[in-house]
Amino acid sequence: MTDKTDFLNGNVACAEGALAAGCRFFAGYPITPSTEVAERMALRLPKVGGVFIQMEDELASAAAIIGGSWAGARTMTATSGPGFSLMMENIGYATFTETPIVIVNVQRGGPSTGQPTMAAQGDMLQCRYGSHGDYSVIALSPSSVQEMYDLTVKAFNLADRFRTPVFLMTDETIGHMREKITLHSNVEIIPRRELKEGELPCAPDENGVPGFGTFGMGHNVHITGLTHNEKGYPATDSAEIHEKLVRRQVRKIEDFRNEIADVDIVNPDAELVFISYGAPTRTVRQLLNDNPDTYGHLNLRIVWPFPDESLLAFKNAKAFIIPEMNLGQIAKEVRQHTNIPIVVVPKLGGALHTPAELLKAVEVAKTVKKPVTEVRL
Amino acid sequence: MNLEDWYRQDRLPHIYCAGCGNGTILNCTLRAVEELDYKKEETTFISGIGCSSRAAGYTSSDSLHTTHGRALAFATGLKLVKPRQHVIVFTGDGDCSAIGGNHFIHACRRNIDITVICMNNNIYGMTGGQGSPCTPYGAISTTTPYGMQEQPFDLCKVAEAAGANYVARWTSFHVKELTEAIRVGLETPGLSFIEVMTQCPTSFGSKNKMRQVTQMLDMFRDNAVLKAKADRDAAKGILPSPEKFVVGQFVRRNNPPLGVEAAK
Amino acid sequence: MKLVVNERRCKGCNMCTKVCPYGIFQEGKRPGSRGYIIPVLDHPERCTNCRLQKLYGRQLCGMCQMICPDQAISWIDEKPFEPQKVVIEY
Repeated sequence: MTDKTDFLNGNVACAEGALAAGCRFFAGYPITPSTEVAERMALRLPKVGGVFIQMEDELASAAAIIGGSWAGARTMTATSGPGFSLMMENIGYATFTETPIVIVNVQRGGPSTGQPTMAAQGDMLQCRYGSHGDYSVIALSPSSVQEMYDLTVKAFNLADRFRTPVFLMTDETIGHMREKITLHSNVEIIPRRELKEGELPCAPDENGVPGFGTFGMGHNVHITGLTHNEKGYPATDSAEIHEKLVRRQVRKIEDFRNEIADVDIVNPDAELVFISYGAPTRTVRQLLNDNPDTYGHLNLRIVWPFPDESLLAFKNAKAFIIPEMNLGQIAKEVRQHTNIPIVVVPKLGGALHTPAELLKAVEVAKTVKKPVTEVRL
Repeated sequence: MNLEDWYRQDRLPHIYCAGCGNGTILNCTLRAVEELDYKKEETTFISGIGCSSRAAGYTSSDSLHTTHGRALAFATGLKLVKPRQHVIVFTGDGDCSAIGGNHFIHACRRNIDITVICMNNNIYGMTGGQGSPCTPYGAISTTTPYGMQEQPFDLCKVAEAAGANYVARWTSFHVKELTEAIRVGLETPGLSFIEVMTQCPTSFGSKNKMRQVTQMLDMFRDNAVLKAKADRDAAKGILPSPEKFVVGQFVRRNNPPLGVEAAK
Repeated sequence: MKLVVNERRCKGCNMCTKVCPYGIFQEGKRPGSRGYIIPVLDHPERCTNCRLQKLYGRQLCGMCQMICPDQAISWIDEKPFEPQKVVIEY
């Protein structure tokens, strides 16, 4: 088998990436603009011995992939904003029971039904903070069709390594865009660590991640969304057990935020530095291409946990310019990690930023003094 | 394996109130599982949220205690990935018919090969006795202090209409019949739905003139009408009195199930 | 075989008093070790399961065990040659 070159749209590339990563169960519900992922999975999964099911709603889709994950399969669902809101309940369940799942969110304009066929990045904070309680997650953001494929594979590996839900936070532009793509014949698969004989089902190893007690393997585990002790049994009245559990589950991801960081750093000596992820990265790259060696660029492929140390690479930075297709959600996170002035370039409505708009932000950034400045396009 | 091996010994005694029927239903379920000689590693118990759903935690095989109302969706995913597993879902009336109503009818429609045991205690027990979609007309609960003004669900009719392959109703008083019904349900491919009328002496009986557990058992014994008798009465044109309910097997059919191994 | 009520599990609901065809279970009077009033056994040797379980090689009746919501009722093997007091009632 050799690598294959194809011309696919982002959603189909995502489905192909999932299949390459060994995903064998997909439960979904139709929603624009993510539906092509489900359609491709429905077509392809039965051919590789997997199962596709269209559930009655997104609540059930998220539930079914958690159930499928406990049965031992790599599982995935795909949705967009409104469905993502419905999934929040079971995303919280998956974080607390440490269930590896992958959720693709092809973002569209919100709030509510919003703009079903237009791109946005408005769910970036929701994916991090949307479910109740304290927890941490991993979110990836592709900016090309090839990255849709590669990051989907990576999402499965991260989910299994950290035993956590992993989000592929893409958007309508990337999902519906067709590009040349290389489908690898062989991708790296890092399987989840199975529970060892005599090991307690919720006792962490040295990385803070417990072994996975796959159902039907004789582990006889009890998995609950209640606060549980290391045996997995409910222990809801103990402040100590609850705090230890929540802190461990947050730390098992946050402690590795810089180790798993996946960023592109361009022109680290520049004074004006763009920070972007997803579709706006494409405009920034165009600008950098037109004006070589002028601006710095930090492209985030893993947005959550936020790779804070990568900001330090820009030693001469005078301002960070952050174009986002929302009202500055990740800019808020950047602000928490730096004192360098931030220029937020929000754009709503579904169209990408143009290089001219970014140049307008550059003019603002040249003289910026305030900690946070918003550019009105 | 004997019956006692199916209980998670280090978790007993359980959290149920004195006289709660859920423990009885757990006995009957595990007895049926033991009679069928299921292996522990091939049996999975899944439950949602509520008193009923704590039952999964007292079984010694793999068990998944999930979110409110979603147990059937979790079970669907698990069963499709591992068709060899015998999947048994414990749910309650509120869990199954209110928050999980949509998942319930769709699981029945898909006819996925799982066994659903619904412990219908007429109220939300875990939160302190609020009215549920199965609270009888006129019954008192903490959210219906002047009597329930809505009509209750007939869950068996819902399951039958939605396409379940096996539907039966018994009570926590009829332990032998219930055990047999669960056994038949486990053996029937496709979705088997067994509704069990059970007593909540703490939150339902105490507000509805049945302060003693034994009074509630008497009520089940006196008000349960066998299906054959109900059918005969209906043929004669005798109207059923409102406090009575029908018990027995309502449907057993062989519609194509989902989630059964291809080899079968 | 001997019929026993596990005091550690019984919560004193008295459902067993409702179903035993021999009326062996009677409502108790005094609280047990956990504070629940445990049913008392009236001539448990009348229990069919005690007498005939070994002979038939399977469980007979067993209504009390099935309905007990707290899994407190079971049958245990008696020690062989245990002296038994015989009371003759007139």
